[in-house]
Amino acid sequence: MVETGKLSIFLAFAISIYVVCASVYGARTGKSDFVKSARNGVLAVCFLLIIATAALVHSLVNLDFSLKYVALNTSTDLPVIYRITSLWAGQAGSLLLWALILSIYSALVVLDTRTRSRLLMPYVVAVLAAISVFFTFLIGFVENPFEALPVAALEGRGLNPILQNAYMAIHPVTLYLGYVGVSVPFAFGMGALLSGQLGDEWIKYSRKWTLFAWTFLGVGLLLGARWAYLELGWGGYWAWDPVENAAFMPWLAATAFVHSVMIQEKKGMLKKWNMALIILTFFLAIFGTFITRSGIISSVHSFAQSDIGPLFLGFIAFILLFSFAMFLYRIRDLESENRFDSILSRESAFIFNNLLFLGAAFAVFLGTVFPIMSEALTGNKILVGSPYFNRVNVPIALVLIFLMGVGPLISWRKASRENLMKNFLVPVIVGAATAGVLIALGVRDVYALLSYAFCAFVTATVFTEFFRGVSVRSGRGENPALAFVRLVSRNKRRYGGYIVHIGVVLIVIGITSSSVFVTEKQATLTKGQSLELAGYTLTFQGIEQYTTDAKNATVAKLEGYKNGKPIGPVSPEKNVYKYEGNREINQETEVALRSTFTDDLYVILMSYGEDGAATIRVMVNPMVSWIWSGGVVLLIGAIVTMWPGGRKEREEVFVRYTLHDRDGTAKV
Amino acid sequence: MLKGKLKFIIAIAVIALAVSYLVYGGVKDTMVYYLTVKELKGKVPSVYGERVRVSGNVVPGSIKHGPDGSLEFSISDGGGDIDVAYSGIVPDIFKDDVEAVVEGEYGSNNVFAADVLLAKCPTKYEDTEALYNSGSEGKGVNTY
Repeated sequence: MVETGKLSIFLAFAISIYVVCASVYGARTGKSDFVKSARNGVLAVCFLLIIATAALVHSLVNLDFSLKYVALNTSTDLPVIYRITSLWAGQAGSLLLWALILSIYSALVVLDTRTRSRLLMPYVVAVLAAISVFFTFLIGFVENPFEALPVAALEGRGLNPILQNAYMAIHPVTLYLGYVGVSVPFAFGMGALLSGQLGDEWIKYSRKWTLFAWTFLGVGLLLGARWAYLELGWGGYWAWDPVENAAFMPWLAATAFVHSVMIQEKKGMLKKWNMALIILTFFLAIFGTFITRSGIISSVHSFAQSDIGPLFLGFIAFILLFSFAMFLYRIRDLESENRFDSILSRESAFIFNNLLFLGAAFAVFLGTVFPIMSEALTGNKILVGSPYFNRVNVPIALVLIFLMGVGPLISWRKASRENLMKNFLVPVIVGAATAGVLIALGVRDVYALLSYAFCAFVTATVFTEFFRGVSVRSGRGENPALAFVRLVSRNKRRYGGYIVHIGVVLIVIGITSSSVFVTEKQATLTKGQSLELAGYTLTFQGIEQYTTDAKNATVAKLEGYKNGKPIGPVSPEKNVYKYEGNREINQETEVALRSTFTDDLYVILMSYGEDGAATIRVMVNPMVSWIWSGGVVLLIGAIVTMWPGGRKEREEVFVRYTLHDRDGTAKV
Repeated sequence: MLKGKLKFIIAIAVIALAVSYLVYGGVKDTMVYYLTVKELKGKVPSVYGERVRVSGNVVPGSIKHGPDGSLEFSISDGGGDIDVAYSGIVPDIFKDDVEAVVEGEYGSNNVFAADVLLAKCPTKYEDTEALYNSGSEGKGVNTY
């Protein structure tokens, strides 16, 4: 198995090189046999990497401790499911996964475009294969997952217990699907630049794939946040750690792209901007992989220190130089077909949206690399932490939420007074009323007030849109439920997008509430004593201990009451894992979490004494569950948007020339 | 048309300036020096009362848990050591010998009052040596 895996990786590397050469040669000389053979090469690489991955999974499941990777990431007592997930627990396995996902995407692209886009595709295939050359080189020659130990180990090191969690099992893969997904729109952009086919085709494919990658990045970030919240035991879900930022930056750039691409589709504008944006997004995705994999920026996540850092930097430099050189070479062909008419228009709302997303990405980037930059420039290592990121990003986010309400309702080209009145009167009243009610209820935090008011404003605009669409249809005699389903299914992109916006609103409300109104308290309790916080009462019943196959657990038994009514036992734990390999953690904290629609009761057992007393920390985090449910809504919206079928692509192009409806009402 | 274009340029400039201002103000007000224990000692007394971040390895045997959940320990990096007082959530991997990162102020009583405590594992994760000397050396939180 091991030899098969090794050989597959080397072959995948060699064939990737062949694909680059054959595809470009075939396209330049018009020899379609070469192009065809390059396409088959892509499928072969995918097949080989599936074999390599299967071989590694086989070794992991069967605990082949003669392999370094297996010995470092598994142990005899590890359940089979976590033996499989340790495929992405270490460096070499993660890189193999990167290459595998890329090859699967490349194969899908090849199969999807079999007879289409003959001039563009050979170059797209070549770019994808070039990226594959880099990653198969890394796993073949630098970080080979099939590297053998000089002497087989008797026992493996095991997987860190805090990674033995369902969220940790899927969060990295989800993020990787997003990170790698960004390669595809980049390849289409570069293919367009290389082939000179700068029409609608590359934009159409890029939009589809960017949306796909964007969804996975977003969901991956949320899963990571949820894991941190459940497992790390500090009561928060986001810490602006470099590794979190690494995934957040490409997400920000991709968000800008999925918006601005609409302007190009519908109006033939912003062509240069979109091209630059997709290059930037890919750069940030590779940079993110680099940060997470090289450990260059100190993070609480400690990573393998290895030789791949310089290789990655070289690769990043090559991408930037090559793509911007190509960009400049073709810049004349990227002229706009239209111009901006008015600052009060949907086009300009999109421009501002883009500038703000990029501003946020820039601020996060600067904050993330600040320690390295300051050390290089001044010799002193200077750090900016969470306060910096919050201070900069919260105002930007607030303006973006406001624009999220404005964008969908303001008309194209130039908004008239009637358009503004007709579309915005009700939402503005709803937003202002929300702020008024909250002030009356005693909310004084300006950011929180703005955030809630804007969220209400956005929600009102989205509901207006749905209401109008449904009433136009039901006016024709359709039953409203059917009208709703048809409305959405006939205009998936538009209404799917609105559903995504509602998901974002829920997430924003959750983040605002839980960061502004969190309360916490810490106390050392002896048996029978109680602690009160935000309507909750916890009465300490004593310390108990129990043992399972894997761990010795110490539990603080608490009885919970909310406003006097019992809510059952609350039992935060400290666990000691039995297996030696897991001893890097003395005690693992297992929080007790009781999550409701209005707030989360989050209880941490800090320490316990010989005398039976326990120190517990209690947090009441308002509306955290809104973040997770917002994530589900966002995912549903994204799926609706991407769902195939419905309006034919030909019609979409047609729409581009007819969509000059000046008032921006629902098109049904 | 020129007027329309000018409006756009002004609007874009306003956004760029606003973001730059936020970044500038944010950096200026929140930046902290990241020092080693040795560097911190070198900056006495000017460093007293200034917010800094310091990293060093936890001195074995120095960890003392107070009855109320507070924590005292020392960190060292070969160039001396400092005492740290901390109260708050302690990361699971915090123990003797790990690399601790603390943020707070170094007081004139030579105790570092920390309100942030992060911990990292000292051993390099892919160090195969540890495989043969039982599994007592740990690895860090590797999430990818």
